[in-house]
Amino acid sequence: MGSEMEPLLLAWSYFRRRKFQLCADLCTQVLEKSPYDQEPDPELPVSQAAWILKARALTEMVYVDEVDVDQEGIAEMILDENAIAQVPRPGTSLKLPGTSQSGGPSQAVRPVTQAGRPITGYLRPSTQSGRPGTMEQAIKAPRTAYTARPITSSSGRFVRLGTASMLTSPDGPFINLSRLNLTKYSQKPKLAKALFEYIFHHENDVKTALDLAALSTEHSQYKDWWWKVQIGKCYYRLGMYREAEKQFKSALKQQEMVDTFLYLAKVYIALDQPVTALNLFKQGLDKFPGEVTLLCGIARIYEEMNNISSATEYYKEVLKQDNTHVEAIACIGSNHFYSDQPEIALRFYRRLLQMGVYNCQLFNNLGLCCFYAQQYDMTLTSFERALSLAENEEETADVWYNLGHVAVGIGDTNLAHQCFRLALVNNNHHAEAYNNLAVLEMRQGHVEQARALLQTASSLAPHMYEPHFNFATISDKIGDLQRSYAAAQKSEAAFPDHVDTQHLIKQLKQHFAML
Amino acid sequence: VPEAAAGRLGPPGKNVSNNSKMAEVKSMFREVLPKQGQLSVEDVTTMVLCKPKLLPLKSLTLEKLEKMQQAAQDTVRQQEMAEKQRQITH
Repeated sequence: MGSEMEPLLLAWSYFRRRKFQLCADLCTQVLEKSPYDQEPDPELPVSQAAWILKARALTEMVYVDEVDVDQEGIAEMILDENAIAQVPRPGTSLKLPGTSQSGGPSQAVRPVTQAGRPITGYLRPSTQSGRPGTMEQAIKAPRTAYTARPITSSSGRFVRLGTASMLTSPDGPFINLSRLNLTKYSQKPKLAKALFEYIFHHENDVKTALDLAALSTEHSQYKDWWWKVQIGKCYYRLGMYREAEKQFKSALKQQEMVDTFLYLAKVYIALDQPVTALNLFKQGLDKFPGEVTLLCGIARIYEEMNNISSATEYYKEVLKQDNTHVEAIACIGSNHFYSDQPEIALRFYRRLLQMGVYNCQLFNNLGLCCFYAQQYDMTLTSFERALSLAENEEETADVWYNLGHVAVGIGDTNLAHQCFRLALVNNNHHAEAYNNLAVLEMRQGHVEQARALLQTASSLAPHMYEPHFNFATISDKIGDLQRSYAAAQKSEAAFPDHVDTQHLIKQLKQHFAML
Repeated sequence: VPEAAAGRLGPPGKNVSNNSKMAEVKSMFREVLPKQGQLSVEDVTTMVLCKPKLLPLKSLTLEKLEKMQQAAQDTVRQQEMAEKQRQITH
């Protein structure tokens, strides 16, 4: 056949079209044909090219932007010796969320996460759950299927991904790292860079990657900023934050890059120094004015520090530069929703829809915004769409839960009851649904059922004040003052500014004083 | 003043009848706004509902991670199934 393409060229073409599996398969064939050892033959440039192309294709398949990746395990958080101040002043730490310093919506309006932060409009790998402040909190956090975190990050997602990549090749790994002569590769800068990325991203063998990077940076006589950044990345993964900081700073001196700023800021966040990170971002903005990732980094830190108004300001700044930034739109939208402006939130979410975001979460949010902005015609259709797009049972449960609110809003108690029940059928760890169901049961006068539901809710989500407060109210009504007082105190711990709780506690104290 | 405003808004032909009707209604029901005496409100503690939850959108990285994890789990399961099949046939 004369029309057949040169296999290596075809493999390149696959690579450029991001058909990595095909590319890797083709490279394997090429490597099988030409004399192929563990290492590429220097005399055969074709096999060398195929070898490195395969490494790159395999890397691209599992590549995740390192700036975004962050998942802390319990061990890292509890045994964290890196934080400078164990008892930091308010406003200088990410561990203490702080009582909303800037007039953001209170907890009575906006739900909070386990760590006591208002829920965000956007989910990144590192926002999945805030870091608990104390050992007690970390262990007390209920292990539902939804919130479980790995014991350490070295047993977390990275390793699972690493082993996963190995699973797919039945004849063992593509490159046997232990047999690799790293010194030889560090002499060839072009090969070394691709090999490093393969080891770091695909094999997830940070130590070997670090060895290669150290040898290579030596070979380049410490003049290549790229290797310094890579060494910093390895140190970060190994939890050696101070060493990572040195490498990134040195790299920045040689060559200022946006990425390096982002990595260095990540180090400061891991060291729990948000103010330093903010200053660094601002330095970065002096060099790269209007850089979206830097602006977004500032906004994220403000959001984590519970300074919602500053965060919104920076998200707006992001949108001025890039008006299709999904994270900024989603965060501003959710902020408007919880500050009682659902019609403005609706505009932001509609913008997302126009941009082509098409998933369960977006339609759920659209439905809620429509309902609270009194656009009833769109409400139920949005929720129907959300239900049909839900990918797992947790998502379905959340949609049914919100539908329950719509039903409560229109006064259809039966429908509300059914909705909350359905939420629980789909996810029986849904604490909010338990609480709301209890309120409905109480309205029908079923005290015992309500009490049982509230107890479940408060054990599932001790960070929410609603179940504690409701339990206190019920117990107060039926005369169980002791339990009422205990629950009210838990409620106060979860939400100190709640007026009704304070009122109840005061009343109970008066009762006890009279006895 | 409100009556005049209503008149302006309504269709011009029916002004008179509308106004007269409203005047009748007004004479029947008068609002009571006491200016003296005590005003008491009983504060009843009600139970609180948890608030509606906007779902956070997922970042692309997170979606990719989840997809990869899912794929890895699927391959593991397939391999285990294949293993079992082999054991059964042997």
